[in-house]
Amino acid sequence: MSATNEATNRTLTLKRTFNVPVKLVWEAWTRPDHIAQWWGPKGMKTKIVEHDFKVGGKWKYTMAMPDGSEFISDGVYSVIIALQKIFSSANFKPMTEGVEIQALFEANGEKTNFTFNVVHPTEEYCKQQEKMGGMKGWGSVFDRLESFVATLSKI
Amino acid sequence: MTLSARRDVFQAIADPTRRQIINLVARKAMNLNTITDHFEISRPSVSQHIKILTECGLIEIEKVGRERYCKVQPNNLKTVSDWIEQYRDLWEEKLDSFETYLNKLHAKRKKK
Repeated sequence: MSATNEATNRTLTLKRTFNVPVKLVWEAWTRPDHIAQWWGPKGMKTKIVEHDFKVGGKWKYTMAMPDGSEFISDGVYSVIIALQKIFSSANFKPMTEGVEIQALFEANGEKTNFTFNVVHPTEEYCKQQEKMGGMKGWGSVFDRLESFVATLSKI
Repeated sequence: MTLSARRDVFQAIADPTRRQIINLVARKAMNLNTITDHFEISRPSVSQHIKILTECGLIEIEKVGRERYCKVQPNNLKTVSDWIEQYRDLWEEKLDSFETYLNKLHAKRKKK
């Protein structure tokens, strides 16, 4: 912790290199007909409710759970630079709200270097913690998702 | 319910000054005066922040002679990083799914 700044401590970073040119990566990441195909966990249907792909535009995807409840992901785009980056606020209800997601694309010949950041706001988290009564609330949501995904892989 | 009973590490790091204090003492144990020198706010305010950090278990006060030194408690800080880490698997899965789809799409386009 000592050498890093506080933003780093609340950021989850994932890096990948895709064996696909950046143009196609961008297309698959941003077009709703593509997103519906990959956004949800295996076998889970994603419905694209809203997809206003511009700065200030809203997006909203829902995934139906077998028990009738829904996982809702939504947010508002704050930065869009074609073939380079997309920043957006994001809520993943009921799991986490008020994060910023950052997708960075970098052409690397026929490949694409891709970096994905999830910046967690601690203030928001605290408020939420109080509402949900601590870690318990989180645990049960994850258990539910996990067991659901486990059921799917058996089918 | 008392206020202190509701305090946890997340509340402690919700404040920018407290995050800076953690960063400072994470490098080296410091006494209150040295910590105060790094801030524009008053000694009592710094002291109040340290009190909260101590109550949340992120900082420990160690007495050396007449001096009291503030030291981080790395284990409790780990709670914070663990909380963020629990999401990693979910995102990795999403990116796996994206990559699989992307490769399929790429193969399809090449055929055309």
